[in-house]
Amino acid sequence: MLLDFARLGPWRVALIVIALLVGAYLLLPILLIIALSFGSSQWLQFPPPGWTLRWYEDLFEDPEWIASFLTSFQIAAVVTVLSVGIGLMASFGLTRGTFRGRAALRALFLTPMILPVVVLAVALYAFFLRLHLNGTFVGFVLAHLVIALPFSIIAISNALERFDRDIETAAIVCGASPLEAKIRVTLPGIRLGLVSAAIFSFLASWDEVVIAIFMASPDLQTLPVRIFGALRQDLSPVIAAVSTLLIALTAALMALAAFFRKDARS
Amino acid sequence: MTVTDVPIAAPSPVLAAARRRGRGFAPVLPALALVVVVFVIPVLALLLRSVLEPEPGLQNYAAFFASTTYLKVLGNTFLVAGTVTVATVLLGFPVAWFLAIAPAFWSRLLFAIVILSMWTNLLARTYAWMVLLQRTGIINRTLMNLGLISEPLPLINNLAGVTIGMTYIMLPFMILPLHATIRSIDPAIFQAASLCGASRFQAFTRVMLPLTASGIAAGALMVFVMSLGYFITPALLGGTSNMMLAELIAQLVQSLLDWGLAGAAALVLLVITLAIYMIQLRFFGFGQARS
Amino acid sequence: MSRTSRALGVAALALAAGLAGAAMAQSGSLVFTSWGGTTQDAQKKSWAVPFTKETGITVKQDGPTDYGKLKAMVESGNVSWDVVDVEADFAAAAAKDGLIEPIDFSIVKRDEIDPRFVTDHAVGSFYYSFVLGFNPASLKGKAPKSWADAFDIKAFPGKRTFYKWSAPGVLEIALLADGVPADKLYPLDLDRAFKKLDSIKKDIVWWGTGAQSQQLLASGEAPIGQFWNGRLFALEQSGEKVGISWEQNLTAADMLVVPKGAKNKEAAMKFIAEATSPEGQASFATESGYAPVNVKSAALMPKDVAANLPDKHTASQINLDMGYWAAHRDEIGKRWYAWQAE
Repeated sequence: MLLDFARLGPWRVALIVIALLVGAYLLLPILLIIALSFGSSQWLQFPPPGWTLRWYEDLFEDPEWIASFLTSFQIAAVVTVLSVGIGLMASFGLTRGTFRGRAALRALFLTPMILPVVVLAVALYAFFLRLHLNGTFVGFVLAHLVIALPFSIIAISNALERFDRDIETAAIVCGASPLEAKIRVTLPGIRLGLVSAAIFSFLASWDEVVIAIFMASPDLQTLPVRIFGALRQDLSPVIAAVSTLLIALTAALMALAAFFRKDARS
Repeated sequence: MTVTDVPIAAPSPVLAAARRRGRGFAPVLPALALVVVVFVIPVLALLLRSVLEPEPGLQNYAAFFASTTYLKVLGNTFLVAGTVTVATVLLGFPVAWFLAIAPAFWSRLLFAIVILSMWTNLLARTYAWMVLLQRTGIINRTLMNLGLISEPLPLINNLAGVTIGMTYIMLPFMILPLHATIRSIDPAIFQAASLCGASRFQAFTRVMLPLTASGIAAGALMVFVMSLGYFITPALLGGTSNMMLAELIAQLVQSLLDWGLAGAAALVLLVITLAIYMIQLRFFGFGQARS
Repeated sequence: MSRTSRALGVAALALAAGLAGAAMAQSGSLVFTSWGGTTQDAQKKSWAVPFTKETGITVKQDGPTDYGKLKAMVESGNVSWDVVDVEADFAAAAAKDGLIEPIDFSIVKRDEIDPRFVTDHAVGSFYYSFVLGFNPASLKGKAPKSWADAFDIKAFPGKRTFYKWSAPGVLEIALLADGVPADKLYPLDLDRAFKKLDSIKKDIVWWGTGAQSQQLLASGEAPIGQFWNGRLFALEQSGEKVGISWEQNLTAADMLVVPKGAKNKEAAMKFIAEATSPEGQASFATESGYAPVNVKSAALMPKDVAANLPDKHTASQINLDMGYWAAHRDEIGKRWYAWQAE
């Protein structure tokens, strides 16, 4: 009844209205960013006095934008893999382990999310100065990993808790080794949790600006650091152009994924 | 294996300690190592400054709690985080529900919008909201052109601006986990409820809400604690009179170079938040068997 | 076994080579940190490029300037910045706290620098004025002149914008608007200044960065306020209609400092000498619209550019008192942020 769209009755109307409103709410800034990237006003006036491709030309003339895009992507990719891997192990330990102090340990793992990131940024900066890690790839990965890990642990252990462990036990009874059962039965069973862990981890790194500002060196700058610099200095709509390209890239990837899914089914 | 089985002079004391703690500790080790080295040590070093600078003592905490301003900032921080959390639950739950059951085309479309908004750069989104919300912005001008208002609404540099901007950023963090939760509910449960004569409202309050409570709690916790430490969005969309603690700490560190007081402010926030987290743990329980 | 030791030997060699390389790079380079964007671009073009050409020392650009970072570097003893562009009140406070090195005036020519903008620990980078700026279209032709007009909600309705951070400027403006004569500004009557600011507090939108101030003015969101003159200059250049009143403009300088324990101290002093030379200052001022701190620079600049700089608006100009600010920076800062948050 409640999970059947056709049989929701009057509730369906409410659901549709809210979904429409939230959809519009989520879409509005994106549309605005796209419009601003083609607008001729440097000062974010809307509607703009005219239309131009100038900001895209500026963007492609500057190799540093592309370099910082690649830097961000590499860091975020490494962080995602490590975060999901370490987070998966930790989640197993936290949800299935029987050792004492699990609750406290879980709280400890989530603390990096609670602490204002600016505090972590300052603390890490001072600490990494002594280790000569500031401005290095390893330094970025470690710092971003610490803020990405809580997302992995929340998403994965939430999925693990809901996963019916009897299915895994059944697989073992049927002759699978415990590890095999985990890989072939449990992991597919919690894949939504894994996917959201990966998405959140990637985003935590990809969009992270406060730590990155502290950690950046002239040779290693992430995309948010460059965008932040552009916002501070000239508010140039190049930022809107960068964002629009990223939006287009995301949309293309999603369309591709949808296409393959359809393909696999037919 | 029980505690008494462990020999006192075990070959590896670490292993023995792990055993004494029970099973399943080993997989936690990489995460623990990371958090200790890259988080606990550096942050403790900073927090220590709160009792060491400018001289050893508790004067920074005395100063923090004696200042009505700092207490107000602390209050604002929880007010904003709480408002944003409530708003994301109220908006996120129906959307997650819609995503889980609506016809494929519509649910995919809305899902795509959610993902797109998430992947758009945080700074860019915040600036977009500045342009939308300002007095001369699109929303105010549209409303005025329609004759609905005669004066621009104050939508920015106040609590309204922060709530709109932060709810926007936090919504996906609520929608995605809730969506996973709702999808994992077996529809047969509602058929059963229906057969037992439950109305839709009863099915919602007695079946759906309890089944999604852990998802809601997880999402709300994530949104709430992320909001507490948020910095850039409140700084750009909020006014100075509803400043949040992260901004205060940044000011103390970067402008006033008062790391002692900054450490004290950070510790106060940390302790209160952990307390809230522990309370939540009591009610919803994580990692505990709930059979 | 022998393979292991050979591998170790190779590793040791590589390490030694790396260290030698690092040492060599250190003797031939320095890191200059400033606020990024067009200002730093101009500094790079006018100072770093000619400096490298003359001395062979490469200049790496870093930024933006962050006082928290600077303090952390000095404390840890791992200072990666050699020359930093900072605000004058910070320079004065940092000298007091032992965060920066004294300037070597056997390398930097002190007598060429405007005495307002040089101390034992810092030399001016450029100087700017806080001026009254307005958007003529939003004010429907009415032109505010004095700081008192900026506080007059009846005559000039709408939001006004002021500098967000605790720094010399806004408090002085409030006192001037309240009728305090320019020569009686210091020591600042803080109670009076905050009382005056209270009268328009709900109509103030604070700007935290130069770009934000431009956006607020150009969009008409805040049609009147306090601006860096260079930012209004840039707005005009981009084709916006902007009104400026230079009446009682308030000057202050950015300063170049060397953090305590900088790795390339001597190169840093040479760089500061180049940056504050008549040519370096003239070239930077021409690029940026800010004024040179070297008294010999004006003669080297194009006449039409020189006419628009803060040093041509000295009639009612007021120098912000950095000595006063250095002594009271912390105390005012705490009160400022507390007042803002009320």
